[in-house]
Formats: sequence, C-alpha cells, structure tokens
Amino acid sequence: MTSQATNLDAWIRERLFAAVPVGIAIIDDAYDVVYANPAFERMFGGWKGRKCYDVYKDRDTICPKCQGGATFRDGQPRVSEEVGRARDGRVARYIKHTFPIVDDEGNIPFLVEMSTDTTDIEWLRREHQALFDQVPCNVSLIDKDLRIVRANQRILDKFGDAEGRYCYEIFKGLDEKCEECPAQRTFTDGQVHTGHSLVHSRDGRPVHFQVTTAPLSLADGQTELVMEMAVDVTKTLQLEDDLRIAHAFLEKLVSTSKDGIVAIDESGDVTVFNPAAREILAVVNGRQVSASDLAEMLPPGFLAQVRSGPGHVLLPDTTVTTLEGVPIPVRLVGVRLDDGERVLGHAVSIQDLRARKQLEKEKLDAERLAAVGQTVAGLAHGVKNLITGLEGGMYMLNTGLKKGNSQRIKQGWEMLDRNIARISVFVKDFLSFSKGRRITVAPTDPPGIATEVVELYATRAQELGIELTHEAPHPVPSAPLDREGLHECLTNLVGNAIDACQMSEGEGGTHVRVRTFEHDGAVVFEVEDDGCGMDYEVKRKVFTTFFTTKGLGGTGLGLLTTRKIVQEHGGRIELESEHGEGTTFRIVLPRDRLPALPDSVPAA
Amino acid sequence: MPKKVMVIDDEPDIQMYLMAALEDGGYQTCSLEPGASVESVIDAERPDLIVLDIMMPRRSGISIYKRLRTSEAYRHIPIMLISGMSSAKDFMPEGFRALVQDDSMPLPDAFVEKPVKISSFIEAVGALLPD
Repeated sequence: MTSQATNLDAWIRERLFAAVPVGIAIIDDAYDVVYANPAFERMFGGWKGRKCYDVYKDRDTICPKCQGGATFRDGQPRVSEEVGRARDGRVARYIKHTFPIVDDEGNIPFLVEMSTDTTDIEWLRREHQALFDQVPCNVSLIDKDLRIVRANQRILDKFGDAEGRYCYEIFKGLDEKCEECPAQRTFTDGQVHTGHSLVHSRDGRPVHFQVTTAPLSLADGQTELVMEMAVDVTKTLQLEDDLRIAHAFLEKLVSTSKDGIVAIDESGDVTVFNPAAREILAVVNGRQVSASDLAEMLPPGFLAQVRSGPGHVLLPDTTVTTLEGVPIPVRLVGVRLDDGERVLGHAVSIQDLRARKQLEKEKLDAERLAAVGQTVAGLAHGVKNLITGLEGGMYMLNTGLKKGNSQRIKQGWEMLDRNIARISVFVKDFLSFSKGRRITVAPTDPPGIATEVVELYATRAQELGIELTHEAPHPVPSAPLDREGLHECLTNLVGNAIDACQMSEGEGGTHVRVRTFEHDGAVVFEVEDDGCGMDYEVKRKVFTTFFTTKGLGGTGLGLLTTRKIVQEHGGRIELESEHGEGTTFRIVLPRDRLPALPDSVPAA
Repeated sequence: MPKKVMVIDDEPDIQMYLMAALEDGGYQTCSLEPGASVESVIDAERPDLIVLDIMMPRRSGISIYKRLRTSEAYRHIPIMLISGMSSAKDFMPEGFRALVQDDSMPLPDAFVEKPVKISSFIEAVGALLPD
C-alpha cells in the first residue's frame, strides 16, 4: 500500500464523515443516537444522549411506522419520506435511507441513517403544484404524440380523467389533430406559440380559448414536452365585440349626422371632424384639420369659453368661417367632455342654418309680396274715393253754374281744391311707401326711439288734453334695428292713438301709453290708447287695404308702412281692440329674426 | 210728397255730392252728422231709403247695416250700399258675404260702386223708391 493510499484511507475514515452534505446518524437498538455528523447536527440540532424519535420528530415514544425498527428486525435497507422537526422548531421534510450494520454473528447492533433535507425542494414543488392547479386556465403537459401527460385540476374537474388521452380528443372531441396546432409548432421550433381555439361546452355554448404553448426541455434544444395553457376568452371576446359594435354605432352616428361634429382631445388636436363638418366648412376630403385651422373657423373665443366649462356653451345664431373666409350662419354647441375629474377633450356641434335662413328669407319675401298685392288692391279703393271727390266737385260746380247757385259753386270749388290737395298727399305717401328704402340696421337702444317719438308728440297731446307717457320698466338690451324706420312706425302708431282718442265718444280718450320691454326673446313696443277702439270690420281691414277711418285726414298708408318696416325686421304687429274700449298695437321683434349687423358695425 | 233719402258717408265731400245730386233728382235728403246716432236721425227724419258707405269713422258701415237689418223697427227701410272696394259684379253677393261673415244677413237692396256715375245712382234710387 502506498503512503498516498494510506493517507486517502485515513482521510476517508477520519474526515469524509464530517464532509458529506447528508445528515448521517448511527442508531443503536435502544434507539439512542450514538453518533452523528455535523450535517445531521445542522439539520436536527444536538443529539448526544437523545433517542432518535426525540431528535428527528420531537416525540416521547417510538414512531408508529418506525422504519429503523423494521430494519432491525429484517435487516433490509429502507428509503422513506419523512416529516420531522428541524433544529429551529419548524417542519422539516427529508428523505431517509436506513441501512443495517451487521456484525460477524449476523446480529444488527446499529443502523446507519442518512437524511437528505428536501424542505426547500418540497416548498418549491408545492408552490408549483398550487400554481399548476389553481391558475385560472387549463394547463396540461403534452408529449410529442399529443397525448396529455399531466393535466391540472381545472381540466380534471371539467373533462374527467385526461392523462394518456389525445389533447384534440379530450378538448375538442376530434379524431385527429387540429389543423392549426400551436403545440405541434412548439415541438417543431422550440418557441412559444399562441393560437385561438373554439370549443363547444357541454351545453352547446361556443367557448373561445386563447392557447399558449411553451416548450419544456431537460436538455438544450430538445423539447420533451409542451406545456399548453388555455384561457377562456369568451367573455373578453364578447366584450370586445360589444365594444366594437358600440364604436361602429357611434362612428356611424357621427359620420352620418346632418350636424357637423368636431372633437378635440386634451392636447388640442382635432380627433373628429365628420363629413357634415367638412360640408359646412367646405374642407375637402383628405385635408387634415389642425387645431389652428379650427380656431380660425370658429367664432373668436368660443373654444376658450368651452374649455373653461363645465356645462355647454350655446351660440344659437352665430357665424363660422371657412378657411377661404366665407361666413356661414350656424348654431353652435360646445361641450367639455370629462370622465369625472379627468378632462377628455371638447366637442362642438355645428348646425347649418343656411337652409333655415333661406326659408325665413323666402317667408319674409312671400309676406312682402302679399303686402304689395294687398296694397295694390287697396290703391284702387283710395283712387276711387279721390275720383268721386273730384267728380263731386265738378258736379257741384256745373250744377251751381247752371242754376246760378253761388253757394254750390263755392262748395264745388272747395271740393275740387281739397281733393286735389289730397291727391298730392296720397301720391307722396304712396311713392314713399312703394319705393321704400331698404332698412339698414345698427345697434340701437329700443327705449330711446320710443322716448323720442313721445317727446315729438308731447306738445300736441298736451294741447288735446291727452296724457302721453313712455315706460321702460326693465332694461332692454341694444338690438340691430333701423332707427329711422322704427321711429316712423312709432310715429304712425302714436299719431293714430291720439286720433283715436279724439274720435272717442263719451268717457275715455285721455291716455296714450307707450311701453318698451323685452319678452320671450323679442323686443316689444306697445302703444295703448283708451280711445274709440275698433269694431270687427275695421280690425279686419286695418292692414289689408288703403283703409282709413279718418275721412280726409288720412291716406290709409300709415299702418301699411308701419307693417312693411316691421316685416323687414322679421317682426310682426299685434292688435288688440274693443270697440269703444281703446286699442293696443304691439310691435314684436324676435331677436333671432332681426337682420344681422353689417360686419363693419361692432356689436354693442 | 217727395221721398227722403238718408246719406251716410264718412267723406263729407262725397256726402255733400250725393245729397246735391239727390236733391237735383227731386228727393229730400238728410245725413248723419258727427256725434249723432243713426237711430236718432232715422227716428227724427223717417227716411224712405238709406245710402250707406261701407267705410265709416269709428264704426264701419257694415256694423250699421247689421244693426238696422236686425232691428224690428228699421229692417223694412231699404238700404243701398256704396263702396270703392269692389265692383258691383264682385260685390253681389260674394264680396258682401265675405265682408259680413254672416250668412243670415240679407243682401242690400242695391249696391253702387264708387266712383259714382250719378245718372245710374239716381236711376237705382228711383228703382227702389217707385212713386
């Protein structure tokens, strides 16, 4: 024996026992631990003078299934999986190999027990098992023949015993493998693959799975098994579908809307500009609309007002401007879009008012034409009265001359004189009415006009003992009006009211009240008298012919002129009158029908 | 005894003209002065015919017409309406019905269009007032 071999022998005898990472203990037949190595002590703690069951398992008596006892009896080595108590008092798992030490007479005075600590491995294994079984998807291990090697609890619960069966058979009830098989692809290239799988549940519902296959290998490049994970995405797909339909619905709604719809995201970028918006603002298809384009098209300050939200901003009658500078009348609604606290952006709805404006214009034109028609019809009546007056004068003159009746001659001359004078007034009035002038509007203070007219008539009213007043109890904002035209209207109405007072029989005929106020979005001028009033026939005729009840004093054109001016403003005249009770004329000018201010005139 | 014709017209010139023509035709005349009521004049003057202009101050001729035609005391007096509003052809009866808006109202006994052709006027009066 060489000294080297001697040294090795000594090392094995003296040092190997201490060096091995396996806990080794020698037990005698009274279950006393008689010897143990450092690895054992690290696992179970101090052992000297203690029984094995005390050291291993913190017990007072021999373990029920004592492996050592069995080996003492039959001399067979054993391997067992044990649960004991570690040095720190925690549960320890270990694998124990038990060997008998047999003496020359065949007796077994000692056992060698070698314990490998598997606590950490066991924890890992259990974690993986829990993951495998409890992860919310079907997990299986599949071999190259596409047979299921292992299946998690979910699969076992759903499909029963799966192991050893083909995956396509158990999952889909097919006789051969699927056309698209991600597991097959993973076996081929060793990569992770995903696929979609449609199966039918037991009650026939379609169930969609998102399938992921991952390679499992024990050696590089060699895929032994594939782990297949299938997640039920039926609900997700349904939600996606619902979302897609909702989105398509909204998209359709926006794209087919007659109104222009524009949306701006939080950073100001234009994210929606629907076909109607393109149409109204004359933006060609394909032309991107930038934030600055939009700001140029919308009325100045509108977007800032919308941004300052909350709530919506409504401009019922405003103008947008195409990029070529063409003004378009529109109704604008702007709204801030938010999701609770978070501002998502802003949306603007643009309603094209061109068609409506055109209709309104046509209606006004039709009203004007009708007025002209009625005027012409009335003209004949006025002329006939004048002719009769002239003929009367001629008759009186002729018969007076024939009879030598100087009184009648005088009356005839006077009659001719009066009627000729009347013709010139009539012609002048008629020309001013028929030619008219287009009204020109400027920002005007409505009560101011009424005040002027009342001042104009103050002296005459006072002379006649009529109390003429003007009231504007509440402020009336400025409006685009033809000052001169409305002055003429009020002059006519106040003049008529004073005349009516004079014609009053008996009581009354002492007050003319003018009021200016705002009502229901309209500027209203009201002229009320307690004069003679009008009966039904007069009311019916008052605007329709050259109608006068003032004998030689009137041409019948005042009210027609008044109505013409009021209609040019898009307004109307209302009349309330009871015979003997007085009359109220009301000029109603809805603000949304008033003519637009010319661009050069700044809004007041 | 000459027949009496009452002339009611809002235009003094026309009233004077028609009265002069009627007097020249041999009729007596009377008229409605401002402030007087139609009934009081009829009661005082007892006219055989009333010539009534449709347009009148304060109340139109149609109101007077309706009042007289619905009154037991006056409905027998013939009434001739005069107006420049429409031709005789258009007035009887369509124009009259449109103006009166009351189908129960009888048509006037005659209608004369302004300007008045005096010979036809006197002729029409004569037809309503035979000797």
